Amino acid sequence: MDRLKDLPTLRIRTEDKVSFKYQGRALEALGGDTVATALFANGVRIFGRSLKYHRPRGLYSLDGECSNTMMRIDSVPNVRAETTSVKDGMNVEAQNGLRRQGFDPLGFMDALSWAMPAGFYYKVFHKPARIWPVAARQIRKAAGLGVISPDFEMAGRYDEIYPHADVCVLGGGPAGLNAALSAAESGLSVILLESRPWLGGFFDYRSKLHARAAELALEVANNPGIRVFTNAPVVGTYSDGLVTAFQRGSKADCFDERYIEVRATSTVVATGCIERPLLFENNEKPGVMQVGCAHRLARSWGILPGKKAVFSVGHDLGLEAAIDLADLGLEVRCVADVREDGQDPRLVGELQKRSIPFYRGWVATQAKGWNRLRSVTLGSVGGAHERRFDCDTLIASAGFTPVWGPIALGQTKMRFDLHTGFFLPERMPQNMYAAGRLLGLCDPASIEASGRLAGLEAAAGRGLDVAARMSAAREELEALPGTVRGSKLAMAPVKGKKAFICFDEDTTVKNIDQALSMGFDMPELIKRFTSAGTGPGQGGIPGHNLPLYVASSMRYQGEVRPTSMRAPLVPVLVATYAGANHDMAKRTGLHESQQAAGGVMERVGVWIRARRFSQEKSARAEVENVRNNVGILDGSTLGKFRIHGPDALKALQRVYVSDMARVVEGRMRYSAMCNEDGCVIDDGVITKLGENDFFFTTSTARAGVTAEWIRYHTRYDDWDYSIVNLTDAYGVINLAGPNSRKVLEKITDADVSNESFPFSCVRDFHIRSIPVRAMRLGFVGELSYEFHVPASFAQSLWEVLEEAGKELGMKNFGLEAQNTMRLEKGHVILGSESEQRTTLHDIGLGGLWSRDKARWKTVGAVALTHTEHQRGRLKLVGFKMEAPASKPPLDGSPIADGRVKGYVCTARYSTALSQPVGMALVEDELAGEGCRLPIFEDDCGGRLLYAKVVPMPFYDPEGKRMKS
Amino acid sequence: MFWRSKRLWREPGSLKSSYDAVIIGGGLHGLATAYFLARHHGMTDIAVIEKNYIGFGGAGRNTAIVRANQRTQENLPLYKEALELWPVLTRELDFNLMFYNCGNLNLAHSDAAIKAMRLQVASAQYSGIDIKLVDPRECKELIPALDISDRPRYPVFGGMFHPPGGIVRHDAVVWGLARGASKCGVDIHQNTEVTGIAVSGGRVVGVDTGRGRIHTSRVLNSAGGYSAAISSGMLGIRLPISVLTIQAMVTQPLKPFLDHVVSSGMYHCYANQTLKGEVATGAHMDPWPNYTTQCTGHYIKHQAEALSELLPCLRGVKFMRHWAGLADMTPDMAPIMDGNDHIRGYYMNCGWGYFGFKSSTVAGKYMARFISTGECPDILKPFALNRFEQHRLMGETAALVSYSADN
Repeated sequence: MDRLKDLPTLRIRTEDKVSFKYQGRALEALGGDTVATALFANGVRIFGRSLKYHRPRGLYSLDGECSNTMMRIDSVPNVRAETTSVKDGMNVEAQNGLRRQGFDPLGFMDALSWAMPAGFYYKVFHKPARIWPVAARQIRKAAGLGVISPDFEMAGRYDEIYPHADVCVLGGGPAGLNAALSAAESGLSVILLESRPWLGGFFDYRSKLHARAAELALEVANNPGIRVFTNAPVVGTYSDGLVTAFQRGSKADCFDERYIEVRATSTVVATGCIERPLLFENNEKPGVMQVGCAHRLARSWGILPGKKAVFSVGHDLGLEAAIDLADLGLEVRCVADVREDGQDPRLVGELQKRSIPFYRGWVATQAKGWNRLRSVTLGSVGGAHERRFDCDTLIASAGFTPVWGPIALGQTKMRFDLHTGFFLPERMPQNMYAAGRLLGLCDPASIEASGRLAGLEAAAGRGLDVAARMSAAREELEALPGTVRGSKLAMAPVKGKKAFICFDEDTTVKNIDQALSMGFDMPELIKRFTSAGTGPGQGGIPGHNLPLYVASSMRYQGEVRPTSMRAPLVPVLVATYAGANHDMAKRTGLHESQQAAGGVMERVGVWIRARRFSQEKSARAEVENVRNNVGILDGSTLGKFRIHGPDALKALQRVYVSDMARVVEGRMRYSAMCNEDGCVIDDGVITKLGENDFFFTTSTARAGVTAEWIRYHTRYDDWDYSIVNLTDAYGVINLAGPNSRKVLEKITDADVSNESFPFSCVRDFHIRSIPVRAMRLGFVGELSYEFHVPASFAQSLWEVLEEAGKELGMKNFGLEAQNTMRLEKGHVILGSESEQRTTLHDIGLGGLWSRDKARWKTVGAVALTHTEHQRGRLKLVGFKMEAPASKPPLDGSPIADGRVKGYVCTARYSTALSQPVGMALVEDELAGEGCRLPIFEDDCGGRLLYAKVVPMPFYDPEGKRMKS
Repeated sequence: MFWRSKRLWREPGSLKSSYDAVIIGGGLHGLATAYFLARHHGMTDIAVIEKNYIGFGGAGRNTAIVRANQRTQENLPLYKEALELWPVLTRELDFNLMFYNCGNLNLAHSDAAIKAMRLQVASAQYSGIDIKLVDPRECKELIPALDISDRPRYPVFGGMFHPPGGIVRHDAVVWGLARGASKCGVDIHQNTEVTGIAVSGGRVVGVDTGRGRIHTSRVLNSAGGYSAAISSGMLGIRLPISVLTIQAMVTQPLKPFLDHVVSSGMYHCYANQTLKGEVATGAHMDPWPNYTTQCTGHYIKHQAEALSELLPCLRGVKFMRHWAGLADMTPDMAPIMDGNDHIRGYYMNCGWGYFGFKSSTVAGKYMARFISTGECPDILKPFALNRFEQHRLMGETAALVSYSADN
């Protein structure tokens, strides 16, 4: 097709040829084309088939408000062809069964629409019950639009940015550009988001306003205070001035799409309007399109929408388009305007000058033709008169719909405005200002003035003194034409059997009537019942007409309420939202050496840790090496805290169950924290560093929340203390095994003999020149040292220890080996040997609780008193298998004795004892020594395993080894 | 014929001055209770009072997943029966609830998660529920879109597959129950707000609404996210419930490619393809109590990141709609079903958190029995409110949870 030439408004580059494929055919487009305009220029008129009735659908708007023009592009389904720039080598395919343009084997569905009234799914396919599974499968197959392959890999570069600004302006039309300029001229930083590839909005394609749009765009581009994002649709607005958007990139950019999160003090919404579809029979035939679509097609892309056209419009832009398109060479057979009066007399005069018949108070009632439009029937709004016109194009639009999504997302109540026929906010959300067409303004000068005012309002909201300029701007606006009376007509005088209120879901006006008669009287409920507006167009087509139609229906008594708006306002790729998709895991200072040593690294909470150092799952070699020789473990993830100040001890008394006054310098004390229910939430060791100065450890899982926990539970006490989370600041290395002292002695001058550094003591000394705090603890049940060093020294210390341990055959051990050894020792890991509801008593640590410190109001103490002798609780027990040769039962297996009476927490084969041992939480009736525990593993086919309760610890009950 | 359009439920018109029982909340639990009372217990003089329209709250905001793979034996039989009720109710109500019995796959991404699953699986098996542990290869067979390689942030260690689960069309349940209850004589009063509960001599005597007083001796509080506020504000009975916003979203509709519900605790993510072809996905709860039902930009991004790892093909799919509802969370993630405790004639069925949809019908069934007889059915006894006073939490969640400000 030959394009129109030499229009100043054109957005195509005729010298720049782009080749792409459509349905396997090679086609040519021009630079600047969207996929939709390129296809239209190549003669494609049927863009897709509708979801339910397989009706042919064509180009209707150019902003992608419906699924008509959704295509599969480069294997990505449901791409809006209207907003996607065509690129060299692009592979475009039509969706929903369209093989050839003119034929669809499921086209007969349209004739069956009588059998599918609103909500018919709910009334069929369930009698007899056995047909439903079959029907459900068929419904699934018929539903859905695009196709995605389960092994599809999304290509492209994705990124994310988080810019800040004083003002974020949504929409780069005349109002938005003016708002940005007046805010920036007040000294504010501005971000402007525009979804189209260029600025100018509805000025851009209009012959008389194009130059003004270019002028404004240049001014904005030259203003250093304004950062412009084009090709960047807004997708969400949230509280506290958060605006989310995304931007499509070009080859020259470092991204194909990027997620944008703008944080701004004020937001100006200047998103303008889309057109409100006109409802009549066959209102979505290929060949029927909206005014802006036809006009922009010609003015921006140089394509005439057809040869012979009829216009049925409800606003002056429709008249302007008819005149302009007639001048560009379109044969305009007639123009019908639903308004009886109120037209711009100048435009009416121009129509007359061109001898274009003009019908006031008339509207299209029916379009005829199947694959393409052949004729249109126009009728008077009252229904008395009718005339038929042959044509290939019907340009139809009932009115405007403000793009109010960004305002409505903040759960702003929208009120129906009788004058404009728009839903307008009852009250603008805080720090949000609206400007331009979405308020109902139509005069270009008024729109610009309202933009300037909004920019100043934003400046005032930011605390700037712009009162004088604001009142001047307000006066200017008031002197200009105000909001325009909008057409409220939703429906031509027809029955509506094939008048589609929602294209995506093939919902007709008749379906809405059916829903109304079934008792659904609110637009939101009708939306749910008929699916209107729930398709990929996201309400762009039915969003305004549905509530208008429901309100005009006799059955509805209440006020007109719109359906709800939801983010994202335009569809966004999962890949784009994911953006850079940063992986937020923590690594210890020893991560690399752990990995180099063959560590099998796994995520444990927020950390990555070494589970084992071989592929053998039970890590038996690591266990044996610690039990008989010496091993080394990276324990850096342990929670580490310092608390100091005059009231530090009081704070510890509040949260720890033991009497913290008994914590002394040089010694470690084991204790636990409970919640208000007496349930144990943390355990660790505490030592005193000096006067009013303590150091304590928490479990890895609690490291992130402990400071807040302590502050929360002392919040009314006005105590003077400071708490520092040292978890990341210190590395921890655990040296364990009977030979560990031999390793240590080689590298330190400190006296580390059992006499001067005995079990449960803490000493500060140097290893080589590295300052360490060493603790003698026995989690794994052997002679063991835990070294706390500043994180930056951790790797050096590790190397020193490794070197010193080499000749003894020291080896790494990981979490799995540690787990087995602490189990043999009967030490619990909270979360593994406890549930949310497990109290300190339940896991046998009631002895830690000091009951004579009531004055400290220890968290959980009341519940510990209540539950101390309570019956029917799950208690922690140790068990051995009745058949010592059997395998250990699987972790998590229930203890089932008529009903579930507990479960296995951890069970492992103990090399030291040459038999499996385990711990279980069981009801107290089974907790006595010698009780028989029937264990029900999953898929055991009814064959239970039997264990018996034995005392703990299993290994070295006197603790000789760890104290040696 | 099926295409004749009749009202689904009666418009009761004026509010009567007395009813045998008043149900606060026109959500699924309220409607189900009304239906069972009227249809199975002969109590037809019942008003359902709904502040907005029926199905406005959680009933219309959930992602419609049903399953019976809970953790404790107190919960399991309840959810098992709930699953079995869908086909029964479809028949009884003569309304297609569209129970799509596709099965649920829960994924484990660590040994600890496998252990937690084993307890769930074995306990459910012990209660006669069809469920099993599966390895990564079997997971892949069930969900071909799953990435079981080492590439994802949290590799798949295994999962549990629960064939009897699936999805139900949630709106259909609301409308079907409303129609069924209305047919039996229940009055559904929409746009009517309860403003007070009148008590005299330790007994319920009436309910005050924006449209006047209703005299009644029995009232059920099944107001979902608002139950705790009603209980505390109108009767002074404080419930250990924190109300949090929970969010979910759908993608654009696609041809079938995801045949089961798939979920992962580690990613805070579940996904299932509805009969319409959309992928419904969600799971996250805002970690602070609020009543706003506002979505957050952070969460939809988080969900995209999770799906990029879990079901990478979805990177080529677009999100279409994001919404939020309220979850009334108890400390042990099990509900409160109780009655006649402090005040005779006051019943409550709340604290369902995000399990309210899958349990609605069975909770309605037994609450109806409770209300009609005044005797608590055995199956509901473990859910009494006083378990919190006695420090006897239910154990439905293994991990420590707290939804109040003290983390």
